[in-house]
Amino acid sequence: MENIEQTPAKQSKRDFLKYILGGSFLAWIATILYPLVAYLKPPKQAEVEVTSVKVGKLQDIEKESGQIVKFGNKPVILVRAANGELSAFNATCTHLDCTVQFRKDMGVIWCACHNGKYDLTGRNIAGPPPRPLDPLRVIVQGEEVFISKNV
Amino acid sequence: MTQRHSLRISCFVFLLVTSVQTAIMAQDQCLTCHEAMEDSHAALFKKDIHYAKGLTCADCHGGDASKEEMDAAMNAKAGYIGVPKGDRISATCSKCHSDAAVMVKRYRSALPLDQMELLEKSVHGKLSTSGREHIAQCTSCHGSHGIVTKTNRTSPVHPLNLPATCAKCHSNATFMRTYDPGLPIDQLEKYRTSVHGKRNMSGDPKAAECASCHGSHEVLSAKDVRSSVYPTNLPATCSKCHSNATYMKGYGIASDQHEQYAKSVHGKALLEKKDLGAPACNDCHGNHGAAPPGLESVSKVCGTCHALNAELFSSSPHKKAFDSRKLPECETCHGNHEIVAATDELLGVGEGAVCAWCHKENENIKGFEVARTMRSLADSLITGENEAISLVSEAEQKGMEVGEAKFKLREIRQARLETRTKVHSFDLKQFQEVADLGLAATSTVTAEAGEAIDQYFFRRWGLLVASLIITILAVSLFVYIRRIEKEQAQNR
Amino acid sequence: MKNKLLALYRWIDERVELRDLIEFMGKKYVPVHEHSVWYYFGGVSLFLFIIQVVTGILLLFYYKGSEELAFESIQFIMSKVEFGWLIRSIHSWAANLFILAAIIHMFSVYFTKAYRKPREITWLTGMAMLFLGMGFGFSGYLLPWNELAFFATKVGTDIAGVVPVIGKPIMILLRGGEDVTGATLSRMFGFHVAIFPGLFVVFLGIHLLLVQRQGMSEPIGFENSPANQKTMPFFPNFLLRDLLLWLLVLNVIAVLAVLFPWELGVKADPFAPAPSGIKPEWYFMFMFQSLKYIPAQVLFVDGEVLGILLFGFAGLIWTLVPFWDRKSAAGQQNRLVNYIGLFVVLYMILFTILGWLA
Repeated sequence: MENIEQTPAKQSKRDFLKYILGGSFLAWIATILYPLVAYLKPPKQAEVEVTSVKVGKLQDIEKESGQIVKFGNKPVILVRAANGELSAFNATCTHLDCTVQFRKDMGVIWCACHNGKYDLTGRNIAGPPPRPLDPLRVIVQGEEVFISKNV
Repeated sequence: MTQRHSLRISCFVFLLVTSVQTAIMAQDQCLTCHEAMEDSHAALFKKDIHYAKGLTCADCHGGDASKEEMDAAMNAKAGYIGVPKGDRISATCSKCHSDAAVMVKRYRSALPLDQMELLEKSVHGKLSTSGREHIAQCTSCHGSHGIVTKTNRTSPVHPLNLPATCAKCHSNATFMRTYDPGLPIDQLEKYRTSVHGKRNMSGDPKAAECASCHGSHEVLSAKDVRSSVYPTNLPATCSKCHSNATYMKGYGIASDQHEQYAKSVHGKALLEKKDLGAPACNDCHGNHGAAPPGLESVSKVCGTCHALNAELFSSSPHKKAFDSRKLPECETCHGNHEIVAATDELLGVGEGAVCAWCHKENENIKGFEVARTMRSLADSLITGENEAISLVSEAEQKGMEVGEAKFKLREIRQARLETRTKVHSFDLKQFQEVADLGLAATSTVTAEAGEAIDQYFFRRWGLLVASLIITILAVSLFVYIRRIEKEQAQNR
Repeated sequence: MKNKLLALYRWIDERVELRDLIEFMGKKYVPVHEHSVWYYFGGVSLFLFIIQVVTGILLLFYYKGSEELAFESIQFIMSKVEFGWLIRSIHSWAANLFILAAIIHMFSVYFTKAYRKPREITWLTGMAMLFLGMGFGFSGYLLPWNELAFFATKVGTDIAGVVPVIGKPIMILLRGGEDVTGATLSRMFGFHVAIFPGLFVVFLGIHLLLVQRQGMSEPIGFENSPANQKTMPFFPNFLLRDLLLWLLVLNVIAVLAVLFPWELGVKADPFAPAPSGIKPEWYFMFMFQSLKYIPAQVLFVDGEVLGILLFGFAGLIWTLVPFWDRKSAAGQQNRLVNYIGLFVVLYMILFTILGWLA
């Protein structure tokens, strides 16, 4: 029920309060909505990649070739031998942690830093590496090739 | 003198002599007979040191040396054992040679008493292929009847003869194959090409021969950790002679190699860390064919482990430059025995840099520029890496997620390692290629870490702003509530 | 603006007949007395639950509930998704605050005996929600699939398995097998985002309906002091105050989420040995710590089994308080209930602290 007369001062105070209340409420809504909307926008790297990585189609992987694949936080080397067999290893050299590569001319997995060599079973066969490379599983599902952790 | 008098004297002398001779001969009837039989062993025995010391045949073969008749002398009841075979031989020697009461008290000998004990523990003390005796007996090396001291030039174990003695078995492929087919049999051949071997052949008894390094009675397999030629023990073995300045006088080489080696990376790795991957003296000098590598082959020798560096060096302009100036390849910059860990300090044209020895601002200018550029690139990589690491660490401390940036740090470390190898190509282009990869990784990591740190502050500013808004809203809401309640109270 | 809202209201009212409901709600009053402040905790619990639902649904957009991807998906949310860190940390903090608020709410209801007739069902649904809340906490804790959670789940389900007769089947049901594996993770995920929310909403609906229908409970003896019978209308006074408090709680959560972001830890490795110092979350701590003080064997009963049965029994008695507290139902003070309640509060606090110190 409308009652006591509002003095102009009181009235302007009420309006002021209404503005502040309304304004800060809208600001508050914005503070809530902005992060939510930003959250829902897909980030640049759209997916989580991890303990199983799809490499690609089997026919795209040449025989006698090797490639480095990012596996979560680690580099992994996928090698396809001359007879078509696939193998994958942790591409961190067991000597001083450089990233190894496949050398078709040498027929081995080679480390550029100190000439360490590993055969295609990952065993260290020459140079300073003290241990073989850790193997990973290669799974071929239909046409797709996956690398997954050895469990 | 009367005739009767001289006759009496000569009879007396004759009797004296014959009785003495008989007395002597009466002690070793074995020898008497066997000598008469023209037994070669008896003839040899006359030259034997045991004969000189008064021992008889029976002292080794048993029996009664005073008896003339065979049956009485070579009588089992008198202890006759005939020709001992197998371990019986060494046991016979050991009867005296391991007995202090005999060796020291009776014969006042300075010889050691532990030969048998050592032999049994050595590799030669293992059972032979027949399984019935040790591989080696005392007689295998020392001979049986003409044994002389090792200082005697005719002794088979005299330093100048020893190599041939060992080679009797060790160069016999058929024989060695029955024990260790993998063991080489060309040691003697190689030895003859070595400095030690050549000196030995020219009659120098001071030069090292088989026993000098391998030991005599206590020879162990080189694979045995206790062996004097096991990699971790080998430098000390070589050092026995080579670090003895007095011993090495007159040979014209230094005697501080071991001292230097112990300070080097290789020495510390092998001697302190027991890393068998590190080279001992023989890995670079050879063991039986020991000799320092020739000037032009130094890089090949170092290259047996440091393959990549050697390969790069061999195809670099330095190869021809060094060889033509008779500079030993790797050694010129890295030293030979006192090789210290190579740091970036070696590179470039500043203080302590080896390039500056030949390349100066107005001399060998092209190399000067290359060296200087390489060093500055290497320095950039170091500062870049340090900056990247500290930024990533800061971001991590602030609780930000920097797993990917940390992963990329590996690339910088890899570039630093690879560039150090690429130096040996002395080709700026190759070096730069690798360095650029590292520098690119540096900027990526620095950027990512920087972004993470910025996020940290953004969050806090954002919180401040949001809190401000909420506070204003809360306060105005509170005032609003108060107002409503005041009105309600007024209306009541 | 106001006219538009009125028009909308009239449109709906013509079809749904809201008028009676609105009138009824407009008459709702909240008693004002020295213990009034505790009334707010129900609302705060509700607010925190709503926050959990909202942030939980948002997390569902990016979380992947399989053994291989769970950990990394949360890493992804924390580092790659814009404000992902905020949503996740809010979810973790609000979870704990929710359980804290619910516990405080429960104790305030207990001590003011608000559970007495006619509010027994409200109490029962409330207890059900508290237990569900702890279930939410237990199942949600495993979802990041980190080392601590893995072993905490192992230990927790081990304890469940100790209950005689039904324990083992329950443990296998919870674990999805004999051991804690990826199957367990899937199960916990299902519990956490489907089963528990479904059940919770049912109980919540009943609970709120009853609170609206029955109004706020007054302390025993409130009617007998007319001088003190102050009340305030639920709309708009109490509601606005409620909203104000919720605003402040929101700010507290924001501060916590930014200044004390929730850790992720290390990914679970079933083959690695258990890390030292595995502890359950604080709301289970007092029970966990108590079990440690029970001797391994008590007469013919295994110590752990005895402990669990005792706690189960205690929980049951507590839940049934409206039915054995006759005095409060008759409107009398019940000192015994107060003493029991005090003992329980002190016990919980003491053993939680003991657990932390260990």
